[in-house]
Amino acid sequence: MPRLVVAFCVAVTLGAVVPLYPDVFPYASDAARANAALDYVDRELGGGNSVLPNQAIAIEARGRIPTDESFAVDVGEPQEGWTPLSTPDSITTFMRSFLLPRRERSNAPWILCFGCDRNAHPGAEPVWEGEEGLSILRRGT
Amino acid sequence: MTVRAIAGLLALNGAFALLGLSLLWSLGVLLRWADALRLAGVGYLAGVASFGVLWTQLLVIGVPFGGWGIVATFAVGTAAVCVLGLVLGRSLPRGFGDGRGSSTTALLTTAAGVALTGLWLEALFRAVRLQSLQAYDGWAFWVPKAKAIFFFGGLDEQVFTMLPGPTYPPLVPIINAAAFHAMGGVDTVTFHLQYWFLVLGAVAAIAGLLQRRAHPALLWPALVLVLVVPRFGAGLLTPQADVLVDVFFVVGALLLALWLSDGGSWRLAAAAVLLAGATLTKREGLLFAAAAIAVALLAAALWRRPGRRWLVVSGLLVGAAAVPWRLWYRHMGIGGEAPSDAGLGGSFDRLADSLRLSFDVLFDTGLWSVVPLIALVALGAALVWGDRRLALFVGVLLGIVFVGGAWVTYSFADIPITADEAVNPIVRYTGAVVLLAGAATPLLLDSVWRGREGQT
Repeated sequence: MPRLVVAFCVAVTLGAVVPLYPDVFPYASDAARANAALDYVDRELGGGNSVLPNQAIAIEARGRIPTDESFAVDVGEPQEGWTPLSTPDSITTFMRSFLLPRRERSNAPWILCFGCDRNAHPGAEPVWEGEEGLSILRRGT
Repeated sequence: MTVRAIAGLLALNGAFALLGLSLLWSLGVLLRWADALRLAGVGYLAGVASFGVLWTQLLVIGVPFGGWGIVATFAVGTAAVCVLGLVLGRSLPRGFGDGRGSSTTALLTTAAGVALTGLWLEALFRAVRLQSLQAYDGWAFWVPKAKAIFFFGGLDEQVFTMLPGPTYPPLVPIINAAAFHAMGGVDTVTFHLQYWFLVLGAVAAIAGLLQRRAHPALLWPALVLVLVVPRFGAGLLTPQADVLVDVFFVVGALLLALWLSDGGSWRLAAAAVLLAGATLTKREGLLFAAAAIAVALLAAALWRRPGRRWLVVSGLLVGAAAVPWRLWYRHMGIGGEAPSDAGLGGSFDRLADSLRLSFDVLFDTGLWSVVPLIALVALGAALVWGDRRLALFVGVLLGIVFVGGAWVTYSFADIPITADEAVNPIVRYTGAVVLLAGAATPLLLDSVWRGREGQT
């Protein structure tokens, strides 16, 4: 009887493995193909593609803000073309992560403006402007 | 760039394995080269855990983390355990085989199991090779914490206190930061391969530990099934801490189960290293480690296993390793890890619903296939016909960890009663229960097959 129970368990295990095991390979191939189809920026941004209204602001910010300087994120009302995940929290969290080692500070010289009210930042001039209400502002030194 | 990054990861993970295998050698367990091969996975995980535990303590006291620090850790750590081994009179492993004959069936089954697992690992490698960082927890806090350690050389106060999950321990960010150094920069695409190495080490550890304790016909089908269940297949390489904490816990628990059986003292030392790693990998690692040590102590007392005091010492060391990080975040003004009402404020209905949710998740064949069901049958059979000590240890530990999951849902009042992973961690948490159940099944079934008179 005990050995029958063991044999039963092994048989059920093998019965479960047989249909599941082959599924691994199409999944892996699909994932590999999808990953290979992404361009460099898509891969760099990863989850940011779902959060940011436009990739350009992240790439521009990383290129323009020196690594030892700080930035602030100001997100205004959602604009046409923004995704449902483009919330102030998710955008700020993503930019904080993506732009490290640049630090996020409320009074930073660089302001990442996502449809923000520019009048709230007197003295700040745009150094880059994109679509969908996105811009990078720089406070005067 | 990516070839350089992959070579760096290969070197880093080789260094983990060398450190851990040196530790096992100094504990006197590597008598033959075959032992080094068989226990390479356990050694690798011990290397990862000891590196992570050591650097957690060093970061807490303010030692800067950098490339030369990593190299020095491996050099000094490996040399230190080798010197310890020499002092203890260990000699180099001799010969390759251990003279134990294996049947043709066992050899063929092992070969088939290794081949199937190897193909699976190759597929996983391909899938993750160019993976971008998609998981929310990954880009929101696990990876930024690793970046902070990489760029600022320590537990940067702003990053570690402002990001989500400020009480989550830093072992995974430390390993990731070491991976960034090994790759030559913050490559958040190639670094997914670090998780592939961890999975490789985990598979090798479980297979190596059980290879002499369960017939290959029992070991490999169970192991392959665990690897291909839908939930693990899709989630193993997500850059979070869930898989690593489960692996540390399950391999540590297996070591304790085998110690209960054969009393090998090296198993206690290795289990202590891995369980200490679990406490610094995720918050539930504390619960897992405490449960594993407490249940082992109970079983050892019931069966009057000699060497119980060393188990107590191991438990104290695991607890001591977990403390400094908790002191650091308390010092930073961050609240504790437990729910504010510690589970006392919920209603009976919520308790019942939480338990029901845990049952539903555990027995969801769409997530775990039949792994929990087979484990339950094996557990019952082992209690009746097999090794009752092993069955008691595994059964009670599974029960405690399972109830722990229900307690999490119950006691955090803001967690809704749902299996939706975006708002309730119960599916991720249950991975520990399922992995332990799946890994222990071959041991339980082997004890049933051999019968009570066949137990050691």
